Order: sequence, then C-alpha cells, then structure tokens
Amino acid sequence: MRPPLVRARRSVLGGVCAGLAVHLGWSVRRIRLVTVLLTLCGGSGALFYLWLWALVPLEAGDKDEHLVIYRKLPVAALLVMVGAVAAMVSFGALVEGDESLTTRALVVVILASGGAVAWSLGFDGPDPHRTPRYATTVRIGSVALLLLAGSVTLSARPNAMNAVLGVVMVVFGVGVFAAPRVVALWSDLMAERAARVRQQQRAEIAAHLHDSVLQTLALIQNRAGASSEVARIARAQERELRNWLFAGDEPAGQDLAAELRSVAAAIELDYAVRIDVVAAGESVVRSSAALLAAAREAMLNAARHAGGDVSVYLESGPDSIDVFIRDRGPGVNLDDLPGDRLGIRESIIGRMMRAGGTATVRPVRRPSGASSDQGSGSGSGSAKIDTEPVPVGTEVHLHLEVSA
Amino acid sequence: MTTVLIVDDHSIFRSGLRADLDAGLTVLGEAATVDEAVALVDALRPEVVLLDVHLPGGSGGGGAEVLRRSAALLEHVRFLALSVSDSAEDVVGVIRAGARGYITKGSSGAEVSNAVLAVAGGDAVFSPRLAGFVLDAFGALAGEQAESTEELDRLSAREREVMRLIARGYSYKEVAAELYISIKTVESHVSAVLRKLQLSSRHELTAWATARKLL
Repeated sequence: MRPPLVRARRSVLGGVCAGLAVHLGWSVRRIRLVTVLLTLCGGSGALFYLWLWALVPLEAGDKDEHLVIYRKLPVAALLVMVGAVAAMVSFGALVEGDESLTTRALVVVILASGGAVAWSLGFDGPDPHRTPRYATTVRIGSVALLLLAGSVTLSARPNAMNAVLGVVMVVFGVGVFAAPRVVALWSDLMAERAARVRQQQRAEIAAHLHDSVLQTLALIQNRAGASSEVARIARAQERELRNWLFAGDEPAGQDLAAELRSVAAAIELDYAVRIDVVAAGESVVRSSAALLAAAREAMLNAARHAGGDVSVYLESGPDSIDVFIRDRGPGVNLDDLPGDRLGIRESIIGRMMRAGGTATVRPVRRPSGASSDQGSGSGSGSAKIDTEPVPVGTEVHLHLEVSA
Repeated sequence: MTTVLIVDDHSIFRSGLRADLDAGLTVLGEAATVDEAVALVDALRPEVVLLDVHLPGGSGGGGAEVLRRSAALLEHVRFLALSVSDSAEDVVGVIRAGARGYITKGSSGAEVSNAVLAVAGGDAVFSPRLAGFVLDAFGALAGEQAESTEELDRLSAREREVMRLIARGYSYKEVAAELYISIKTVESHVSAVLRKLQLSSRHELTAWATARKLL
C-alpha cells in the first residue's frame, strides 16, 4: 500500500519531488535527477513538475502549523536577481544596438519582476520564514528594476517595440509602488462608509422603534393601569428599550440623577408602582452614598405602603442637594408609628443626620374645598378625576448641604 | 361639551386614546399626518387639538409644523402636545411654537381628559418634567430671579415656588393648598411661565433643548 501522493509542506520549491519520492518509495535525489533529465529533453520534466504542482493536494498539516508551508528556495528574491541580470543584458544590448536582444531581455525583466511581486503577495503569506521585511525588500527591488530599466530604455532612443516595453515598465513600476497605499486608502474609505451606513441604520431603527414600539408600550401601561403586573412588565421593557436607543447620549460618569433612576427602576420591578424621577440643576457632587440609601428607603416605603404613582424630584443647587419623594398613599404620621418600626426613623432620618443633612417626613396638605372645582391635570403627577376622593399622600424631603 | 381633534400617526394609539377619554369630551376627528392635521384643524375648528410631537408629512417639522401652519387659529384652537419622548428639544419646540401644554403618552385617559379641560379653559398644563426643565433653563436653581413681572428671561420667586411644587408631583390644587393661594392664582402663575417659555429669548432655552435629553 503506497502512501498517498501529496505535496510536502517542507519543500525546496513546490514539494512535488519530495511528495513523489514518498509516494513511489524512491530517494528524493533520484526523482530530482529524472526531472532535470526530462527537462533537458524538450522541457517535459518541467511541464510534468508544474502539472503535479497544480493538481496534487498539499499534505495535511498538524494542528499547530495548519496553514504553514516552508520553502527552502527564496523564489521571489531569485526572480528579482534574474530580473537584475536581464536588465544588465538589456543595457549591454542597448549599447551594442542589438534591438531584438534588448526586447527579449526587457520582457524577461518585466516577467521576472512581476513574478517576484506576485509570488511574494500570493505564495509567501503562509511561510513564516518570509518576513514582512523580506516582502518589502522584494517589492522595492522589483520596482527599482522596472523603473530603472524602463527609464534607461526610453532615454536611449529605442525603436517602437522597446519604447512600448519601456513605458509599460515605468507604468507597472509606479503601479506596484502605489498599489498598497491605494488599497489601504480604499479599504479605509470602505470601512468608513460601512460604519456610516450602520449608524444610519441604527438611527432608522431607533426612529421606528421610538414611534411605534414605545407608543404601544405606553398604551399597554395606560390601559392596564399603573399598578398591574402587565403595566410593570411593559414599563420595564420600555426602559430597557430607551436605554438601548439612547445609549451614548448619557454622560459616561454616573451622577446622582442616573443613580436615582436606576434605583427607581429596580424598585419598579418588585412593586406595583410607577416612579417618575425628575432632576433639575447642575449636580456639584457626583454622588452621596447616604443620600442615595435614604432616598432608596423612602422610595421603597412609598412602593410598599402607597403604590401607584410616586414622584421623585432631585434638585441640585450651588450649595445644597434636595430630594423629594412623594407618594399618594394613605399617609403616615411619624408620631403614630410604633417604636419598633425602624424603617423611617433609622434608615432615613438617622442616616441623613449622620451624613450631616436633614430628613423630614410630612403628609401633603389636603386641598381645601377639594371636590367641586375642576381638576387641573399635570401629567402623571395630576389629581385623579373629580368623583374620586383627592389623594393626599406623604412626602419625604431629604436635604444635604454641599461643603466646598 | 369640549370638542377635540386627535392628531397622531398611529391608529392604535388614536383609537386607544379615543376610548379612554372622558364622556364629556367629543372627538370631532382624527388626523395622521401634518397636512391632514392642518386641513382638519381649519375645517373642524375644535376647541382642543391633542397633537403628537412626531408626525410624518409636511416638510418634516412634525407637531411644531402643524402649530406654525395653524398660527392664525391659535386664538380659537388650543393645542396640547402629547409625546412618548421626554427630550427637551421636542417639548420646548412645540411649546415655543404655541402649544398650551405638554403631557407624556404614559398618562392615563383621566389625566389626558383633565389636561384637555384645563387647556380648553385657557390654562397651561405642565408635567413635573417640564417644570424641572423650566427651573433649569431659567437659571432659577442658580439663584436667578426676576426683578419685575415684565421680565421674560427669569422666573419670579412665586413662579419658582409653583414650578418646584409641580416638579415634586403636586397637582394645581395641592400647590394652591401648599402655598395658601387660590387655584386661579396658581393657574395664572403657570400661564405666566408658559408665556415666558414661549417668548423668552434666553439663549439657554435653545442651548439646553439641543444639548440635553431629559430621559
């Protein structure tokens, strides 16, 4: 059973001889000798070699060197050298005035230089021995050869054929020199365009979602009532969508308003409550742990005992921060609370006092002569319609001086 | 009976809103685009137009374009802006174009009905978020205060108090009770603030509106 015919990955040129030697069980030397002899008899050996090179598959590599090929022969560099020799021959022929020899030499220069560039671009990639520096050298060598031979030929008053070849060489040389830059420029341009298209697409999606999906979510919340399970899910979904749509519009650093919003969002997930956070003023301090914790406790209380709509208002002044948490529940009276109810006393008032601030809890004043006059709604914080009793609710006010 | 025109490009939302509105309100019609809205406002002359901020059609100006093209009718027809977006540029855009108030689409049918009645009665309707924006934009929190009632670029002390309470989630009635003033006085303060919001040349208004998105 013969081993399959594959080309070797560690090779001199194409790995054909080495592969044949393994396949036939001959020595590599013998194979090479036969190939060379056949090549001398009318070139059939070289043809056979190329044929096998084109059709025989590469040896399957190891995992580590899956795509790696080692070639002993630096083909590209050799081609540059062939080109250089041909260029010298062409110069000599030019001086002698032998025009047909010049033509043949120039064709060899073009083929060798072009072949060197093509080889280094196409075949040297998977070979770890061919460094980027080697590739650059090959390319510069080819370009120099082409430009030099071309310009010398053109300056020596050549015949028509050689003049055409000279022009081709100069154009080709400039092309090889400029190609990588043009390609880089082009791919930059394409990448930029792709990014712009993506951006545009995202904006379109955002506009569409904004109009239709957010509206539908608002409608669901509306019809289901603020405190229902369905409304809560819709609201959570709405917030998620908004965050995704407007990501990047928010400043990177978390400020107090953003933290309050995320606390409110977390509470809304657990309780049947809708918390509206309004922030005004430029925030001087980034954050205050005590203030945030107290505000969270107050929101939790509102969610547990009142539910429905809760309004949170953060006001950042030049020397103080105020947070108001207002619910529309039955209301609490601090004096009526049993001593073991630590919620308000400890985690809100005590916490704020230790941080150097104050906290007050008070019922919202009942409007006098309420039910007869017309309700003046104001968004989510408005009074309910006239037939319902006017809700009163509780407001917690947290106040913190900002020390300079 | 207060007559209403609903302008919104989503039919689901229109029908939902129509079903939710109070019995005391008569819906005269619905419009889905800028051109349709302008034509219907002129033909039907409703007392209040519920106007979506984002609308297709026209020259792409949305709700503000409807307001500008109906400018001659603003004496008789009052506009209440409705929006899913809380972004300041949207809200301030329609208010400055002549809307008498702004509410979010998350508001319940009862809230929208109340707001419609308030606007029909000549009052302005502010959401807590719009009040917060006004406080910010007029520099009220940095200590700026109007010297006289004529001044358009700053809020008076009383107006600031009213805006703060609205931002805290108080209804007009509750604001009145809190400040020991009548509801009428509260309403006149809010209307004064609305007027300033529409007429002020304070550069921060536009700058704020474009630079900041109040989510």
